[in-house]
Amino acid sequence: MSAHPFRGRVAVVGIGETPYYRRGTSPDAERKLCLKAIVDACRDAGIDPRDVDGFSSYGADENEGPRLTVGLGTRELRWSTLIWGGGGGGSAGAIVAAASAIITGQAETVVVYRASAESSSGRLLNKVSEGYFGLNYLVHGLDSPAQALGLYSQRQIEADGVAREAFRALALASYHHAQKNPRAAAYGRPLDAATYDNARMVAEPYRLFDCSRENDAAAAIVLTRAERAADLTERPVYLLGAAFGCGPRWGELDGNHDPITSGGFREVSARVWEQSGYGPGDVDVAQVYLNFTGPGIAALIDHGFCTAEETGEKLTFENLTAPNGWLPVNTAGGDIAEGFVHGMGNTLEAVRQIRGESPNQVPGARLSLLAGGPMAELVSSALFGSADTL
Amino acid sequence: MAKDRNFNADFSARVDAPYWAGLERGELRIQRCAGCGRWIWPAEWRCGECGSFESEWPRIEPLGEIYTWTRTHYPFVPDHPVPYVHVLVALTQAGGRRLLGVLTGSEEGLRIGAPVEGYVEEPSARTRDLPAMRWRLA
Repeated sequence: MSAHPFRGRVAVVGIGETPYYRRGTSPDAERKLCLKAIVDACRDAGIDPRDVDGFSSYGADENEGPRLTVGLGTRELRWSTLIWGGGGGGSAGAIVAAASAIITGQAETVVVYRASAESSSGRLLNKVSEGYFGLNYLVHGLDSPAQALGLYSQRQIEADGVAREAFRALALASYHHAQKNPRAAAYGRPLDAATYDNARMVAEPYRLFDCSRENDAAAAIVLTRAERAADLTERPVYLLGAAFGCGPRWGELDGNHDPITSGGFREVSARVWEQSGYGPGDVDVAQVYLNFTGPGIAALIDHGFCTAEETGEKLTFENLTAPNGWLPVNTAGGDIAEGFVHGMGNTLEAVRQIRGESPNQVPGARLSLLAGGPMAELVSSALFGSADTL
Repeated sequence: MAKDRNFNADFSARVDAPYWAGLERGELRIQRCAGCGRWIWPAEWRCGECGSFESEWPRIEPLGEIYTWTRTHYPFVPDHPVPYVHVLVALTQAGGRRLLGVLTGSEEGLRIGAPVEGYVEEPSARTRDLPAMRWRLA
């Protein structure tokens, strides 16, 4: 069987990020954060930032490629794309776009990045709070993702039989991993089961620690051709498969898509497994976007790790934690405990696991899954692997 | 239907304008494709199944079942005292298409599958000066 034309053709050769500042407190403007993360990723890759010729982002990022070229000293811009819609659902979609540009020869060195600073673009104020939901939601006092996805998660529990304990296990695993990550927002602030259980309700079934935080930060990765990657670094992280999109009727997300308890990954994950030649049973470690815990569980179900009925048995704290869990997830703390730059932190951690550089390293990790924002109108995922998985 | 919040736009040009016009008269009207008869919600310009751009807006009884629900505790939205319950209602006479609303009255028996009856709340500041569907457990 010949390999899929997407498989293993592109590799990550550099990662970079800024600190995660509490929302609204970044000392730097958003574009400066963005430039810092890209320059940091180029330094990690041993690449002159002037040689970056492609830009790819998602989630309504306002740092368009052309706007970054002056600060980076770009010699020639050859690619600039934004994944439409889906917010954090597009995080791995930006990787798909970057890889497509490289594989087709449109660009050579592409950065995938996301920057967010409340003081500059006002994401939470302008993009999420003011204008995300339409009038049919707004007139009813529904104007927050917690409420909209709370509807879906209530049905996960009440109709599908997803275990409430799995929500808690995912939150506790994220916080547990953050205790070994000095960069994490929750570093030094462990979470125990009683604190989780007693936290205030936000929108049922979500309690406070089911919800992600929002930070000012930027993060970036550098992608290039696989052949060139081997010359740049001893540990290229190969892209074995990546896809974005959605199934039928998914785009509007006004509660009339089916099944509303899905994370939206059924078609996308099938393509990732097909491209890569691997399946859920092969994956060593996963980074799953957690806007809220429930959607993250839906993403794991969609990727085939377990069924809704098995969530109580499979998605336990022990199973979800490194180094020896059945499926360690969000090993740097993830969106709810490391910090939130629209899921881009998960991309960096997925790469670190293959490089052996995670704060909660899974010994010998060879296959690392990244899942973008679940229960969004468009979702994406990617599978990274070490050289011996090619 | 994100991105439909330009309050300066001509309201009558909205794809779901007949829904709002119906509520103003106390009637629940939902879109149905004139070509193939499929119920369409949220409203859309073209039927993706048969391709027709023509639609009807028949009046239906405000009856349905709770498809799912959430209770909001954090005051995300001004003018809505917490807690309050949202219900996503599968409409009995519109092929199970699902419509969002707020549950009022008793919460006794609140669960997925519970039958509900709807009524129209008069426009106010908290409904953005638009009529809004409210539901009671039947």
